[in-house]
Amino acid sequence: MTTTSRRSGSATAAMFLSAALVLTACGSDGGDADDKAGETHSVTADNGTIEVPVDPQRVVTIGNTTLPFIDMGGEPMGVTDVSASELGLIPEEQKATFEAATNLGASADQVDMEQLAGLEPDLILAQFPESEFEPLEKRLESIAPTVFWGLGTEWKAFADGLARAGDVTDELGEQKAEFESKVTGIQETYGEIIDDISFVNLDRWASSDPGTYSIADFGCVEIAQDDIGMDFPEAAEGQDPLGWTSLPFEQLAELSEYDVITYPVDAEGRPTEPFAPVVETNTWKALPAVSSGRALGVFCPGNNSYGPVLQYLDSLDAALATLPAKE
Amino acid sequence: MTALVLRHDGPGTVTVPGPRRRLIGLVVALAALLVLLALSVMIGSTAIAPSVVWDALFHPSDDIDQFAIRDYRLPRTVVGLVVGAALGLSGALIQALTRNPLADPGILGVHAGASFAVTVAVGVLGVRDIGGYMWFAFAGALVVTITVLGLGSTRRGQSPVVLVLAGVCVGAVLGGAREALQLTDPDAFDALRSWNAGSVVGRPLDLVWPILPFFAVALVLAFAVSGPLNAMALGDELALAQGVRLVRTRVFAIVALTLLAGGATAIAGPIGFVGLMIPHVARWIVGPHQRWIFAYSVLLAPILLLASDILGRVVMHPSEIPVGVVTAFVGAPVLIVLVRRTKASGL
Amino acid sequence: MSTGIPSRSRLAHPRGADETPAERVDFGRRVLVVRRRRIAVRLEGRSVVVCAVLVLAAAGMAVLALMTGSYQLSAGQVVSALTGGETGIVRDIVVEWRLPRVVAALVFGGALGASGAIFQSLLRNPLADPGIIGFSQGSYTGALLVILVINGTYWQLVGGALLGGMATALAVYVLAYRNGVQGFRLIVVGIGVSAMLASLNTWLILKADLEVAMAAAVWGAGSLNGVSWGRVVVGGACIAALLLLAGMLSRPMQQMELGDDAAASQGVRVSPARLGLIVVGVALTATVTAASGPIAFISLVAPQIGRRLARTAGITLAPAAFVGALLCLAADYIAQHVAPTPLPVGIITVMLGGGYLGYLLFTEARRRL
Repeated sequence: MTTTSRRSGSATAAMFLSAALVLTACGSDGGDADDKAGETHSVTADNGTIEVPVDPQRVVTIGNTTLPFIDMGGEPMGVTDVSASELGLIPEEQKATFEAATNLGASADQVDMEQLAGLEPDLILAQFPESEFEPLEKRLESIAPTVFWGLGTEWKAFADGLARAGDVTDELGEQKAEFESKVTGIQETYGEIIDDISFVNLDRWASSDPGTYSIADFGCVEIAQDDIGMDFPEAAEGQDPLGWTSLPFEQLAELSEYDVITYPVDAEGRPTEPFAPVVETNTWKALPAVSSGRALGVFCPGNNSYGPVLQYLDSLDAALATLPAKE
Repeated sequence: MTALVLRHDGPGTVTVPGPRRRLIGLVVALAALLVLLALSVMIGSTAIAPSVVWDALFHPSDDIDQFAIRDYRLPRTVVGLVVGAALGLSGALIQALTRNPLADPGILGVHAGASFAVTVAVGVLGVRDIGGYMWFAFAGALVVTITVLGLGSTRRGQSPVVLVLAGVCVGAVLGGAREALQLTDPDAFDALRSWNAGSVVGRPLDLVWPILPFFAVALVLAFAVSGPLNAMALGDELALAQGVRLVRTRVFAIVALTLLAGGATAIAGPIGFVGLMIPHVARWIVGPHQRWIFAYSVLLAPILLLASDILGRVVMHPSEIPVGVVTAFVGAPVLIVLVRRTKASGL
Repeated sequence: MSTGIPSRSRLAHPRGADETPAERVDFGRRVLVVRRRRIAVRLEGRSVVVCAVLVLAAAGMAVLALMTGSYQLSAGQVVSALTGGETGIVRDIVVEWRLPRVVAALVFGGALGASGAIFQSLLRNPLADPGIIGFSQGSYTGALLVILVINGTYWQLVGGALLGGMATALAVYVLAYRNGVQGFRLIVVGIGVSAMLASLNTWLILKADLEVAMAAAVWGAGSLNGVSWGRVVVGGACIAALLLLAGMLSRPMQQMELGDDAAASQGVRVSPARLGLIVVGVALTATVTAASGPIAFISLVAPQIGRRLARTAGITLAPAAFVGALLCLAADYIAQHVAPTPLPVGIITVMLGGGYLGYLLFTEARRRL
C-alpha cells in the first residue's frame, strides 16, 4: 500500500495510453499454445511500441508490475523485492507464487542484471520511477523485450496494458466484470444516501511526520469518488494532491464540517498501525462524525490492480451498510 | 563530516565581559526563553484565541479547541524545552572535553549509535511506535559511547584526540551498516524517514518523563566538572598541577554528555547543529568560562529550538516542518553573521 | 603541544630516523629545505615502486572483477569477449556492463584520491576533504531537486549535482570572504551552509514518493550501478584533464605544505596557486559526485594510505590517486559480490575506509601516549 498510495494519477497520459492500446490491438487470436510459440505482437507503453511474444513463457517483473501481474494469475520467474507490509496483504497462493520466483534485487535500480540475463526471460514487465528507467533501458532491452510504465499510469490502463503484454487477459476480464457488478451494486443500494453526504477520507503512512495526518485524495478513495460517485474533497485542477500535505493533529478539529469520515483499517477492521495515533487523540474522539458513529474504517489492500480493489469495494460496501441505521 | 575538523588556526582575541554583564545576559536569555515558551503555546497552525488558551490551561473542559492546547502545543513546548537544553549542554560538554570548538555531540558516536539501534529495531525487530524507538535509541547511544570510550582509553587514561578518532571509526562503520539495512528494506526506510528528520511533535509526555531523571543526573555531573574542565582547557599538565583528576573528570563529562545527547536523540530523533552552534555562540558571549558557557547553552539552545519549531508551524501552513529541518535554517545564518564579525573563538 | 588538537606535525609527519624534534626546531629554514630536498629525491624512488605495485594490484583486481558476476562466464569467454571474439549477451555482459564499471571504479577512485590529497595538503589536516566547503551536501541537494522535483534524466542529474555543488562551494567561499579567506572562518561557514543543505535534503527525502526517495538515497550513498561507456568516457575525459592540471600544480602544493612564507621564498605565487588547487580539487570531486553520487571516505583515506606506503613526509598526488583507484574497485567488488545483497559502493567505502582510517589514526595517536 505504501508504495502505491502517494502516486499522482496522470489522467491525460492514461487516456492516451488506453487509446494507443486499443489502436495497436492487432495480435492474432485463437489456436493453442504451440501455435503461438514464436509469434509476436506489438504493445504500447511508456517506452514506446514493443514487439513482445504473444504467449510469453519466461516473464520477469520489475518494480510495481510484480504484484498486479501475480494478481491476474501471472507466474513470473523473476521478481524484485516487495516490502513485507505489502506482501502481508496478498492472498496465500499469490504469496507462494511470489516466493517461488527468483529475487533479483531490492528495487528496480538495484536489479542484478547478470542474474536477470542468466534467467533468459522472453519478456520483462516493469513499472518504476521514470528517472530510473533511462540508465537501465538499453540493458533490459538487450536481455528481452521490455515493457515499461512510469508511476503516473492510471491503474485501469496499467492493468489493461499489463494483461495484454503478459498474456493474462482472461483473468483480467473476469476481474473487470466483477468490478463493474460490485460498483453497480453499491450505487444501487446506497445511491440515495451517499448523494446527500459529504465524505472526507483521512490517511496516515509509516513515513508521515509524527503528530500529523493527511486528507487523502488518492489511492482507493479515487475509486469511491470517480467510479461510485461519493463526494470527497479533492485538489483543485493542476494542484498537488491534498494527500501530499501532512496536517498537524490540531487541525483535526476542522473536520467537524464533514458528515462522514473514512479512515484506513487492516483486514480485521482495526485502524492501520500508522493511523492508530489519530484515533487515540481526544480531538478525534470529540469530532461529531466520530461520536455519532459516522467514522467508517475501510480496508484498502492496494489500488494498482483489480484483486485488491475488489477487496476494497467489499469493505466499503460493508462500511456503508452501517450508515442508514444512523439516519 | 563536519565533526572531523579537528583544528583551527590560533586563538582569537576575545573581549570577555565581566561577571556582572554575564549575569545580566543570562537574565535576558531567561526572559527570552519564557517569552518563547508562551508563544509556543499561543501560536499554531490553527488560530485559537488567547482566552481559549488561558481556559485550556486553567479552566479545562472538553471543548475541542482546548485539546489542541493541552494535547499538542503544551507537550511539544515541554519537549522542545527539555530536548533543547539537553542538546545545548551536551554540545558544551563535548567542546570542552575535546578542546575543539567545532565538535558536536555526535562526535563520540551518540547519533550513530541511536540511529543504528532504531534501524535494527524497525528493520529487524519490526518495532513501529515512537515509544519503542525511544528506548532503542537511548540504549544504542549509551552502548556505542561506552564502546568508543573503551576503545579510546589507554593505560594512561583518555586523550580527546583518540576518543574522537575512535568515535569517527565506530560512527563510520555503524553508519554504513545502518544505510545498508535501510536501503535493502523499504519498510524500514519509509518508517525511518520521518524519525531521521528530528521532531518534537507526537511525543506523548508520559514517554518523556522517564528520561528526565537521566537528564537531572547529567546536569549535576556537568556543573560538577565545569571547574576541572576549565583547568583542563589550558592543557593536561597544567590541570594536573592544579590537582585536577583527569580521568574522573573525563568520565563524568562523557557520562553526562551521553545521557544528555542520547536522551535528546531518543526523544526527538537526530537534531543536528544545535549542540554544535549554541555552545560556540555562548563562548563568543561569555569567553572561556565553562560554567557560564554551560548555563548560557542550557538557556540559548531551547530558544533556538522553540523559535525554530514555532517558525516551522507557520511558514508552510497548513502543513508543518519538523523542527530538526528548521533549526539549521534559523541557526546557520546567525552563526555565519557571527563568524564574519568575530575574529575567532578559542577555548 | 598538548592542545588536544592533532596538528599536522603530530599526526601526519611520522618522524624520520634522521630527523629528531630538536633538529626540526633548531635548524634554520635554509638547511631544512636543503635537507628536505635530499629526502624527497630519495623517497621518490620508493614512490615510483609503490605506484607500480599499486597499478599491478589494480590490474589484478580488475581481472577478478571482470571474471565475477551472477552470469557465469569462463576465463576464456571473458578474454574472447574482450578481444572481440564473442557476440550477443556474453559480449554485452563483459564489454558493455562489467568493463565500464571496472574502468569507472578505477578512474573515479583515482580522482577522489587525488582530490583528497590536494585538500589535505592545502588545509594541513589529515581529516580534511571537499565536504568541508559544503560541496557534497550541495551536489546532493542539486541531485535531489532533479530526481524529485523535475524527475529528470541522467544528464540533468549530472548537471544538477554539478550546479548544486559548485554553487554551494562558491556561496561558502563568498560568505567566508572578508579581507581574504581565513581557514577557520571557511570551516565554520562551511559547517553552517552544509547544515542548512543537509536539513533541506532530509526534508526533500521526507516529502518524496517512497520509490523515488529510495532511488535518491541510493544515489546519495554513492553507487556505480548502471555505469555505461557514455558516462565513463565523459567523466574520464574531465578527470584526465583535471589530473593533468593537478600534476602541474603539485610542485607548488608540496612547497606550500612547508608554510606559505617558505613557499613564497621559493618563488611560489601562493594565492593563485592555492585558488588553482582548490578549483582542481573541487572539480575532481564534483565530476565523480555528479557521475555516481558522493562516494565517501576515499578522498580521506587514500592520501593517508598512500603517504604511509610511499613513506613520504607530506601528501603526494600519485600514490593517493592509485590507492584511491584500487580502493574504489575493491570496495565495489565487495559491494557487488561479497555483501549478502548488492549494495551501493559508497556504503562499503564508508565502512571499510572510515573504519580503517579511524583505526590508523587512532593507533597512531594512541602510540604517542
